Amino acid sequence: MKRVSLSRAIVASILLLFLPLSIAIEADGNKRSAEKEESSLPSAIEHLNLMQQAYQSQNYEIVYLSSLQKQLEPMQLIHGIVDGQEASYFRYLNGVIRESLKYDGKISYFEQGQPAYTLQSNQHSTVFANFANYDFEKGKQNYDYVILGKGRIAGKASIAIRMISKDDYRYSYVVWCDLKSSLPLRLDTINPSNVIVEQIMVVSLNVSEITNPWLEKLTKNTLPEIVHVPNTSTDSPSQWKANWIPSGFSIAKDDQHRLVLHENELVSYILLDDGIANVSIYISDRKLALDEQQKLIRRGATVFYTEQQGRIEINVVGDIPVATAKRLAQSITLATNTNDQ
Amino acid sequence: MTEINEQLSSLIDNENVESKSLDALIHDKEQQSVFSRYQLIGDVMRNEATLNIDISELVMAEIAKQPSLATVTPIKDTSVDLKTDNNVVSFIKRFGQYAIAASVAGVVVMTSFLTSQPTTENNGVEVLNTIPFGGGTSPVSLQTNQEQTKQAIQERHERLEALLKDHQLQLQIQP
Repeated sequence: MKRVSLSRAIVASILLLFLPLSIAIEADGNKRSAEKEESSLPSAIEHLNLMQQAYQSQNYEIVYLSSLQKQLEPMQLIHGIVDGQEASYFRYLNGVIRESLKYDGKISYFEQGQPAYTLQSNQHSTVFANFANYDFEKGKQNYDYVILGKGRIAGKASIAIRMISKDDYRYSYVVWCDLKSSLPLRLDTINPSNVIVEQIMVVSLNVSEITNPWLEKLTKNTLPEIVHVPNTSTDSPSQWKANWIPSGFSIAKDDQHRLVLHENELVSYILLDDGIANVSIYISDRKLALDEQQKLIRRGATVFYTEQQGRIEINVVGDIPVATAKRLAQSITLATNTNDQ
Repeated sequence: MTEINEQLSSLIDNENVESKSLDALIHDKEQQSVFSRYQLIGDVMRNEATLNIDISELVMAEIAKQPSLATVTPIKDTSVDLKTDNNVVSFIKRFGQYAIAASVAGVVVMTSFLTSQPTTENNGVEVLNTIPFGGGTSPVSLQTNQEQTKQAIQERHERLEALLKDHQLQLQIQP
């Protein structure tokens, strides 16, 4: 009898011991499910990846305005999938006719008063294209992604995601995506002093199930002749090196080539690329003594900076803040002859 | 004579005519009367013939009476400046197609000697605004100092343009 009560007491005490634990487990389970619910809403980076996917795979037509320095420029982009391949047609809506068509690894350019031509390239430099090809996962090294909130652009509910640069050597961006189609609706380029230097805004967006028949027809047309850019570059590297490169950027090109205009002047050339912004560095003879205030030209996000060192002149062009352009130009030195060429 | 008449007729038909010959026409009284007659013939042929009383001579006479204003510069001067040598055109045509992308069309760097306003954003450093990359054309303001001649500035502008176009081209042909 005593034994029974003892064993009961033991069981009870054991039960008592486990009770809070089981409650805790249950509570933990609740918490987990709550967490799960929260994470079913996409995070900032997931929104960006969705945007990328949508931009590359959907059939849509967008009309957008680019605004910089109080100038507006309306543009149109038609995108679709033709025979399993991306096709996109882009044009400026005002002024001289300027159109381009990208399909099957080729881009054709049509311009009023100029012979049309085709280039073999995948770089269709339409507005959101850099973002549509950017590796956001890799970009975590240089940007923080934050959901800013929701809003309404072009009559559509959208979500704003801010890409905050971790240093002052690149621009930050705010990307607004359509909540339904995930397509980009607005892009603000923000400089390190938090001023919007360039803005692109969609005013009309049409997503369709089927490919635009006109676009499909366009890809069937015979394209203008493919132009191979004349071999103006030499194989030898530029002989110059940048001793400082902003993080995330890598050297995409390093050569010497002749300019197509301006008397085919020979320049040493370095191209830097970080997936979103491109920076060209030109090293050449000094031409004209410039005053301090003549060395910097800015339009929207694009900066043109000239640095003169003795007899040489360094020109930096790209979508980077002024400070980056200056520091880059100042970091250029003659490469030491380690690889005797 | 018949050659000029031919040009007149093509002008009426909205065909391109060199501005030089246009200038010649404007200053030729006889040609003007031919022009108006041709215009009338064209109107009749297109069934648009309404009674057009030619008052151009009267207007010209009125204008001739007016004292010329010092502030008004004749349009002719700028049109002469814009005209390019035949050699230059062919050169640009030959090489231009590589350099002039759809996205940089209209990079025109204008020589206007205006002072740009210092902006607070750049800590008072004066910034030369606007080199058009995208759409339309816009002027670049550029300060000059005494040592810089107009020609040297022009040269600098041409070089800027060449570098910008090359930048664009390099991006275009990136693999």
